[in-house]
Amino acid sequence: MTAVDYLNLLISALLLAGIYAAMAVGMTVIYGVMKIVNLAHAGFLMLGAYFAYELFNRFHINPVVGAVLALPFFFLFGMGVHWLLVRWLPKSDTPTLSSLLLMFGFWQVLQNVGYLVWGTEAYSILTPLTISSLRMGQISVPKVSLVVFAAAVVSLVLLQVIMNRSWFGRSMRSVIQNPYAAQIVGVDDEKTARLSFALGTAFAGFAGGLLALLYPFTPDFGPPFLLRSFVIIVLGGLESVSGVALGALILALTETFSINVPFPWYSHGWTSYYLPASYQPAVSFVLLVVALLVLPKGIAGLLEKKWRTA
Amino acid sequence: MSSSSLVKRIKSLAVLTLLVAVLGVIGATAQDEIKIGVVLPTTGAEAKAGQYQKEGVELAIKQINAKGGIYVKEKKKKLPIKEVFYDDGTDQAKSSSLAERAMTSDNVTAMIGGYSTPLGEAESVMPDRHQTPWITAGAAATSIFSRGYKYTFGALSPIFQLGFTTAEFLGSLVDQGKLKKGLKVAMVVENTDHGVDYVNGIQDWIKKHPGYFEVVLNEKFEYKATDFSAVLQKIKTAKADIFLSDAHLPDYITMQRQYLQAGLHHQVISYGARGPEADARKALGAGTDYILAALWWSDKLPYPQAQKFVTDYKAAYGRPPDSWYAATAYDAMRILAQAIEQAGTLNKTKIRDVLAKTELKGSLLPGQVLKFGPTGQAGYPFLVTQNKPDNKVDIVYPKDAATGPPVAPIP
Repeated sequence: MTAVDYLNLLISALLLAGIYAAMAVGMTVIYGVMKIVNLAHAGFLMLGAYFAYELFNRFHINPVVGAVLALPFFFLFGMGVHWLLVRWLPKSDTPTLSSLLLMFGFWQVLQNVGYLVWGTEAYSILTPLTISSLRMGQISVPKVSLVVFAAAVVSLVLLQVIMNRSWFGRSMRSVIQNPYAAQIVGVDDEKTARLSFALGTAFAGFAGGLLALLYPFTPDFGPPFLLRSFVIIVLGGLESVSGVALGALILALTETFSINVPFPWYSHGWTSYYLPASYQPAVSFVLLVVALLVLPKGIAGLLEKKWRTA
Repeated sequence: MSSSSLVKRIKSLAVLTLLVAVLGVIGATAQDEIKIGVVLPTTGAEAKAGQYQKEGVELAIKQINAKGGIYVKEKKKKLPIKEVFYDDGTDQAKSSSLAERAMTSDNVTAMIGGYSTPLGEAESVMPDRHQTPWITAGAAATSIFSRGYKYTFGALSPIFQLGFTTAEFLGSLVDQGKLKKGLKVAMVVENTDHGVDYVNGIQDWIKKHPGYFEVVLNEKFEYKATDFSAVLQKIKTAKADIFLSDAHLPDYITMQRQYLQAGLHHQVISYGARGPEADARKALGAGTDYILAALWWSDKLPYPQAQKFVTDYKAAYGRPPDSWYAATAYDAMRILAQAIEQAGTLNKTKIRDVLAKTELKGSLLPGQVLKFGPTGQAGYPFLVTQNKPDNKVDIVYPKDAATGPPVAPIP
């Protein structure tokens, strides 16, 4: 491989990291505040994809605008789900079996509603950007991936601003850090949980809308993204938005380069060995196990610890 | 009313109910019909294909019953077919237990079921256990038929044959002078039994025909992957002339999209059995032009019986049969009916013995004959289609079924 090939791979990995971060951040928000591992996240991604598709197909609304419109729509949807189901869960500092089962069951319901409404056909969004690329010499950047990357980065920056600057963001961070202390100083933990669940759902819907530009989707859409979201939030730190971006970057770089970089290998003399492409998911999950063993609070936790020590 | 007379009344009622139930069972088992079990997914992820297969079976049953049913020699009369249908919801455990239920509680004479390899594998353990003939019209992995089962039959040619036919067709392009000899082939397939069988078929043909092609890349990728840029980089680095993949629909669409975005180009592209699907053409438009696919059946097959099937199917369901799903199921039911008639009995073992050696002439499938090989799996040739501009699809191989010339190399 030439240097240009590596540069092409690096660009692909960066674009992929943006997509991964957008899809994982909603799950992190919900886990951070409520300690709920939201298995229905895959269902919200799927509904977000169909939401963008329907707006595009029926009203010719640009899918990126559709994804942005998914934010308020899924915020309200999340409020509804919280009111109907999630608020009845017992409060806990750690993930509970009842919350896992509830969200898994709700995911199954969403999936079957998807089958009833849209059937099993694979839907896609075809725009003039779909198969076109920006070409700079031998470097090629898919336009649609670039647009999705930009939208994902803007949304993450926006979320970070909300977390740092707004009253709601500060109350979220206080509940993430210590829910009891937050209550003592007057934070309404019920309201914060409700709004956090809605915000997490909104970001899942938004990410689903963006993913619809890149992948075909059926009601079964979501599981591969759900699994990667777990890896990302464990890598980045289970409760950190900036950590999610870092986790997504590490996962994307590892997945992309692991099968294209030769390893020295000894077999009747030294030779170079390329990891087969089918091992790509195994690499991701080795990363997950290592992160859980060595960095239980993720890379963000490690950096925070170093900063405090300094 | 005294308590003792009440007890007597309850006892009489219970005896009467039992009598009615026993008579009912006796009545139901009296064989004035032939019960055929059908277990397919009409809900869940495989619902679309499962529904088409169900319709294919039901069309065949309707046509057979319209002629009075199947003549059974030992009964000296024609018996109508009664379908016992269960939806497995695309769930392996459910599929297996429903097949068992049909074979035991419903005591069906034979069964058709198992759309897609995982569901077919789940059901395939039941036929020998309950000595009931079972035909799958939707599972083609060789693994199902390599376990020595006697009552298990498959109406789909193996995936190995799919790979073999693809390579054979490419070889014919070399012979016609459309491609040069010694071209380099990159194979990137999904990491499943399907992908493995496909690669084995291609490699087998290449091994038997030295000098035609050279394999420079043989890779597998994650089924339902989220990104193919790293895999495509490997393809680019391999500097191959021909790109062959084997993928299910979502991976085919995503990979071909990224292939085009990366600006790759090969003299021939194929995604195994994927290519002409309307969903892919909607997703990528002209980006799917010239892609080759090896298929079990196409509604463009020029055989008169295939065209009659298309007409009958449209009349029955108001839409054309999508892809091959309904056709293989239709022929699975027809060969089963033929085997029952030839056996002249409803004895399941005798029907199984006839199924193993019978031939359905006038089959809709390529070659026009359906029969099962020594392992129970059919082995008819595949046909090769090529997408052409303006949403046109041509059969390009074999020659006797071709509806248009192959375009190679891709412009």
